[in-house]
Amino acid sequence: MERTHQLELFPDRSVTLLLFQHVKNAAALRKKAMEGSIEGALINPAMIVDPFQVLVAANKAVHLHKIGKMKTRTLYAEIIFSLSPNNNISDAFKKFGISDSDTAVLIVLVVDRDKTVNLEDTASQVEGQQVSLDELPRLTDTAKVKKMYKVTPQEEKIGTLLDSVVCRMSTKDVL
Amino acid sequence: RGLFLGRAAVAKLRVPKRYRHPALEERLSRRRTAQEARSLLRCRRAGIPAPAVYFVDYVTNSLYLEDIVDSITVQDYIYTVERSGNDTSSLHTLAEKMGELLARMHDEDIIHGDLTTANLLLRPPPEKMDLVLIDFGLSFISGLAEDKGVDLYVLEKAFISTHPDSETMFKALLKTYAATSKKSGPVIKKLDEVRLRGRKRSMIG
Repeated sequence: MERTHQLELFPDRSVTLLLFQHVKNAAALRKKAMEGSIEGALINPAMIVDPFQVLVAANKAVHLHKIGKMKTRTLYAEIIFSLSPNNNISDAFKKFGISDSDTAVLIVLVVDRDKTVNLEDTASQVEGQQVSLDELPRLTDTAKVKKMYKVTPQEEKIGTLLDSVVCRMSTKDVL
Repeated sequence: RGLFLGRAAVAKLRVPKRYRHPALEERLSRRRTAQEARSLLRCRRAGIPAPAVYFVDYVTNSLYLEDIVDSITVQDYIYTVERSGNDTSSLHTLAEKMGELLARMHDEDIIHGDLTTANLLLRPPPEKMDLVLIDFGLSFISGLAEDKGVDLYVLEKAFISTHPDSETMFKALLKTYAATSKKSGPVIKKLDEVRLRGRKRSMIG
């Protein structure tokens, strides 16, 4: 149900994605995430078009973490920040992190390969139903994504929305 | 080439040139990588087909880009068509498509810097003439007609040297270029000037 991917560039790390629907305690989860008492990055699935988008963010976050150049304070915060097309950290949390009224949550975990992933711990804290990542496209708010990433109409002809999104994520700090 | 987070990708690693001074090497590598990433993003936003950027590593100055799977270079396509003997009308259409694409690119003030038929890909199936520009390592942003003219000149030289008897193709390319771009007048003028001058020239000093 959940999906795990090993990072090619960082073979000692694995990224696991868990998706939950009908979540009742989003407010409590958000609080826990802010306190740091829950393991994982809690993301609003409406802003995600494809798991690849999350993997790209995670890849960048792990890279920056390794070289000590993160812009935020924790790896999980960095993942959320990496999803944003701009360099405003609080805005990134607002748009990509979960809000109290959300009923769906995407959780991202990064683990070292030799350590066993404790999904139970995190999953048990969510008052909701875990569903397969295949349900993600149904939860995506395409209009919101296009607006957030400022995707132009010409762009849509030369590639997928995912391409546009990932491009902006990866090049936001070059300009 | 390989898989990056489950997708076909190309990793562009900058090979350090040992003959360069290390400080210069680092700066140049960094600049080229940044320029390439910037140009690719600019292309994408303007609707110019170019690979998507998946990851930029500023430590090793390498880029991880979308791999256009099963594509062939325009260079190989031209070879194949010419060897098969028939269907040269498709080359004419190809030239027109190239002219149109370059006009749009230049209208966005993007100078490719290394235009050759090997840096233009055709998505499969090649008959669809779905072009993709690649290799923006030497690219930069400029509105000057001179720079655009030189960009076209580089392509012309590359064309003639790799594909004999391709003058008609290039002419068709330029015709569509002129028709597509509103700012093409001065650019074509500069192209003529550069042709008369020769390849390596500098207006400075």
